[in-house]
Amino acid sequence: MIKVKDLTFSYGKDKQALHGLTFSVQDGEIFGFLGPNGSGKSTTQKILTGILKGHGGSVSLFGEDVRNAHTQAFFQKIGVLFEFPYLYADLSALDNLHYFASFYPQNRRRDALELLDELEFKKDYLKKPVSSCSKGMRQRVSMARALINNPQLLFLDEPTSGLDPAGAVLFRKIIEKERKKGTTVFLTTHNMFDADLLCDRVAFISNGKIAALDTPGNLKEKNSNHSIIIDYLYQGRRKEQKIEASELKEGIPFAYDELITVHSQEPTLEDMFIQYTGRGLS
Amino acid sequence: MWNGFFGLLKKDFRLMLSGRFFVLALGSLVLYSCYINFVYVKLDQEIYPVYLYDPQETQSVISESVTKVESREALEAACADRYSVGIDLSAGKPELYLLSSGLETADHYRMIWGEAVLKGTAKGKAEVIGLHNKEMKNRREITAEFLFFELSAVGFLGLASMLFKEKQMGVIRVHGILPVRRSVFIFSKLLLLLASDLLFTVLLTGVNLGFLAALEVLPAVLLQAGILSLIMTLTGFLCAVRLPDFRQFSLFYLVLAVFVTTPVFLAGQTGIAWKWIFYHPVYHLFRAMKSAYFSMSTTSVPYYLFCFGGIVLLFLSACRTLKLEMAKEG
Repeated sequence: MIKVKDLTFSYGKDKQALHGLTFSVQDGEIFGFLGPNGSGKSTTQKILTGILKGHGGSVSLFGEDVRNAHTQAFFQKIGVLFEFPYLYADLSALDNLHYFASFYPQNRRRDALELLDELEFKKDYLKKPVSSCSKGMRQRVSMARALINNPQLLFLDEPTSGLDPAGAVLFRKIIEKERKKGTTVFLTTHNMFDADLLCDRVAFISNGKIAALDTPGNLKEKNSNHSIIIDYLYQGRRKEQKIEASELKEGIPFAYDELITVHSQEPTLEDMFIQYTGRGLS
Repeated sequence: MWNGFFGLLKKDFRLMLSGRFFVLALGSLVLYSCYINFVYVKLDQEIYPVYLYDPQETQSVISESVTKVESREALEAACADRYSVGIDLSAGKPELYLLSSGLETADHYRMIWGEAVLKGTAKGKAEVIGLHNKEMKNRREITAEFLFFELSAVGFLGLASMLFKEKQMGVIRVHGILPVRRSVFIFSKLLLLLASDLLFTVLLTGVNLGFLAALEVLPAVLLQAGILSLIMTLTGFLCAVRLPDFRQFSLFYLVLAVFVTTPVFLAGQTGIAWKWIFYHPVYHLFRAMKSAYFSMSTTSVPYYLFCFGGIVLLFLSACRTLKLEMAKEG
């Protein structure tokens, strides 16, 4: 679906934003692009969506060079969710969706009402101006806008930002549903939790370079020390012991009366990001 | 593509409605028409009073327009208003006495008037030929000026307020990933503002010139209004997209009003003569608008070529600026 080779981009003489990125995204994959602010995530997404021109290296989408790909047909096949809910504040959620849907051919359009229902948009607000909705509700309308044309390739920029935990869970379910339909998802985020739960593969980007690229599981496993901490009660006293995972083959290798907790010492995706890039995500 | 275009048109129309654009235009129409019909058509310049000091009584027959004074001091006091004309005949030969009004042309007319009154050749009223009487002249003149002002200033602001709203909402960026050409985004706004400006032109001209006179001048006036509307809308678009906030835009607007429009009005309406004004592009637009109202063809092929070139250049710049705005960070 997406093939990027030696991608470079510069905003000016001394402002090189991307330094030779190489990666590919398979059809139906959820690909996470993780990095802190200013790392080059948005620049990459803008090049892929055709907003930014003048890059170096080669980029192809839908099997076509990106320089020729950004036609009306291309834009009909993609959906983009921006970090902020960009909507017409004076129009209602439905009017916003009908307006944005009017740019797509009839056979691509999804039913706006059904989409909003799926996104658990409050029915009372359907015909009220978007300006009267909460940020979470506006983000739902924005997501509906990104999905209104039934895209084959979906670009999501911080999809769960501004959502309450229930909203974030709902969005993750929607993204999963899209994947099941065969939609390819390019997820740009600095939320490691989302990336860990959703992405088939992630790329860590820092200072315009890809520092690591693999599945979240592999990234964590490669750097795991395979140890386990066990919290237990023995002879009326609470104790804690660290053992190697392989020691568990024969069962718990020490005497205990009751196990309280067992913690694997697998690193988080954020730990991995810091390890690979030398900096945090916020 | 046409679905998208009509969607854009509908949305822009709604934005114009919610931004009270049409209410403002209607308000301007009523205000201008009331001023023209109740104030401006009745305005007339008072004839220059002539004072005569003739101690030797050399003039046997004196015009009704002349007021006699008894001394040189009285003559000087009467002319202290810088408007009246004094004639001193104390030396036997007529000597004109007047304090300069500050305008060379007006002073010249005062002198001619004073001499004509003394010689008895001044007639009370000029002969009116055809329909171009003083009232109609006033109506055409002020309607042209108000229309020019409305199109160049008010319409410009209306578009800017609409665009700043879209900029603040961030929706301009969304159009960067929609299957619609960027030029269509600009074109829909251009078309709506052009239609609204042309409708305003028809109404303002019809109300203030009368149906028949309006019918006679409207083709030429609509052409000039269309040119001005396109130029100002595109300039407004460029500035609104380029400048970061409405405060900066207001400052720019002030500069535009002071340095661009004011000299044009001064050169066109007063006796001030600046040679450099010929090189001021807006002056030619203003002159073309006035000429259209007086059914005079003063415009030429180079004028239309410059206008066309200017509109194309502004349109291309607007497309480029829009592209940059779409690529901006959120």
